[in-house]
Amino acid sequence: MNLICNLFSSIFPSLEGDGSNRDREQKIDASMRFAVLGLIKGSVFWLLVASLLGLIVSIKLHKPDYLSDISWMTYGKVYPAFWNALVYGWLFNAGLACVAWIVARLGGRPVGNGPVLAISTVAWNIAAIIGVFGIFKGDQTPYRMLEFPTYAAPFLFASFIGLGIWILLAFKSRAYRSSFASQWYALAGVFCFVWIYTIAQVMIFCMPAQGVFQSVVAAWFGGNLIGLVVAPFALAAIYYIIPKALGQHIVGYRQSGIAFWSWILFSSAAGLASLVNGPFPAWVASVGVTASFGLFLPLTVFSMQFLSSLFASFSKIWDTLSIRYVFYAVVAFIVATSLTIFGSLRGVQEATQFSQFADGVRYLFLVGFAGMAFTGTIYYILPRLLNKEIPNTPLADLQFWVQGLGIFTVTVALVYGGYAHGALLNGSTADTIDILKHTDTYLFLSTIGASIFAVGNFAYAVSFIWILLSPRTEKEKSADLIEAAPELEFPN
Amino acid sequence: MNRGPFIFIGVLIIVSLSWAVTLVKPIQEAGNLSPIGKGEDRIPTRLTGLAEQGREVYQELGCVNCHTQQTLALVGTDVERGWGSRQSMPIDYIDQKVVFTGTNRVGPDLANVGNRRTEADWHYRHFYNPEITSPGSNMPSFAFLFEKREIVGEGSNRALALPEAYAVEEGYEVVPTRKAEALVAYMLGLSQAYEIEEAPAPEKLAFK
Repeated sequence: MNLICNLFSSIFPSLEGDGSNRDREQKIDASMRFAVLGLIKGSVFWLLVASLLGLIVSIKLHKPDYLSDISWMTYGKVYPAFWNALVYGWLFNAGLACVAWIVARLGGRPVGNGPVLAISTVAWNIAAIIGVFGIFKGDQTPYRMLEFPTYAAPFLFASFIGLGIWILLAFKSRAYRSSFASQWYALAGVFCFVWIYTIAQVMIFCMPAQGVFQSVVAAWFGGNLIGLVVAPFALAAIYYIIPKALGQHIVGYRQSGIAFWSWILFSSAAGLASLVNGPFPAWVASVGVTASFGLFLPLTVFSMQFLSSLFASFSKIWDTLSIRYVFYAVVAFIVATSLTIFGSLRGVQEATQFSQFADGVRYLFLVGFAGMAFTGTIYYILPRLLNKEIPNTPLADLQFWVQGLGIFTVTVALVYGGYAHGALLNGSTADTIDILKHTDTYLFLSTIGASIFAVGNFAYAVSFIWILLSPRTEKEKSADLIEAAPELEFPN
Repeated sequence: MNRGPFIFIGVLIIVSLSWAVTLVKPIQEAGNLSPIGKGEDRIPTRLTGLAEQGREVYQELGCVNCHTQQTLALVGTDVERGWGSRQSMPIDYIDQKVVFTGTNRVGPDLANVGNRRTEADWHYRHFYNPEITSPGSNMPSFAFLFEKREIVGEGSNRALALPEAYAVEEGYEVVPTRKAEALVAYMLGLSQAYEIEEAPAPEKLAFK
């Protein structure tokens, strides 16, 4: 605890000479520049792929003729390809880039093993490409978030082991014995993915459980992939960025332990709530509902910590690009988790079950929370990693508003439209096509949202390529770039 | 919390606990069901060979992303809609190597589609272009499962009888491929229309 206090008391830049710190940080950045940049490149590539697929998916929902002549572009293939590209492509690359960089920076020491990280990154992306192509080819499995064909799974798993080991080694070689909440979440995410992916692969494909129990395992995995892998990576980023970019310690940091363990505990079964009413043992779904309600505890702590910290320096939120993203992510996290909790209520599920409601909540959680947190962190990492300023801040500004608006629109369309659709589907005997006509507006709205989001992503890609290719200015070559704005960079 | 192993063990214990309680325990309790009866009366009924191939087509095309295969009788209006007469039970799925319980209902539930749509012809036309049988549907056309070919001699007896608005030009016919035939056989075979004593059905539920 003493050391954690040190961590925060040292936030005030006057305590330590800026120069030596900057020097050390640059050494750390240099030690992993190539590999982390590789992950970020992968994430931008996959984000573009996912936004294109997402657009196709949403157009197909209200215009079924669109691309329907091509057998490998049928809705049933593009839909899982979209979600898998989004999660295994974009969010894993972006999340691992953030987590690797954060763990190394918090460790306070240059990290070796760059080639391990770089090779694993390449392997991971090849595995994801194989997986997506497998879906298009027709080898998908029917389990949510496990659609990648079975032959892609070993590659995916093996390359994740490489990525995970790098993160563990970076943690192990840290200079300070203390650890910060970001590091806990980073480690937890790595451990959890290895564990849940093994369980899912073994219990569904290697030694398949009987009948419907495969669906139970898949629901468990799907919930955990989001709650125990993607969310911890995003939380690690938020815990890191708020103190670093805002210069504001996490208010109520002492409660982080409670939030951490209760989040892991309740998330680990919350995904089962989606099995309510189906041909599954009823008590398993009840465990899921109870666990979802348990999420109130960590949600409360997170909301208090993040919102208090952000509001403590409210005026800076809009001036600092990374923090703006993190603010959006925090709000999206609170809304999405609340919707998860209330959506698991039996009464609500009676209306929303099997509708787009769940997709909307998932979209908000993955894209609005995790995606925005990662994008904000990457905007923090890039200038430091490359020792260049963001070449065009208005473009990055525009990207934030456009992406934010796109995510908001898609979420509203899917959540509200899903509720309207589900209430009619589960609560009346109206003709299914009439119900569809009734909710057509929302499906159309989600296409508008997906297009807006795609424009934002395009701006992101342009920003990213711009900063990669632009030559360093004289000022940037002098390597004192970050020091010029001390309020934006605080030592460890 | 300052050491990696502590976090590792903590997370391992929690996730393993969740795994043991919510996955291992129910599978041990109820994950080893055997079919009831033999031959014609066997529950669940078996699919034919062609229908089994249709299952693979169903998986390949990702039909599960829009269609569930589970009837709910405890809540909702599945029974009123005629999508089934009772709650789907784990035993209905024990023959299935891969299950398509699904999570989304963009389209209707298919657990009993073989009972309510009994004509193969309807399915063929529906797959060729859903607008023919269900105007306004947002199901995509699966015309790529059909072959348009020149009529030689008398023409095939498997050729689709298309309404005028969707007919192909004179001298040509639309014939289902092997995949379409398998898929339709699967659709016709999808049924849970046998009695299971413990399955909840509306008439058995006093509170409904």
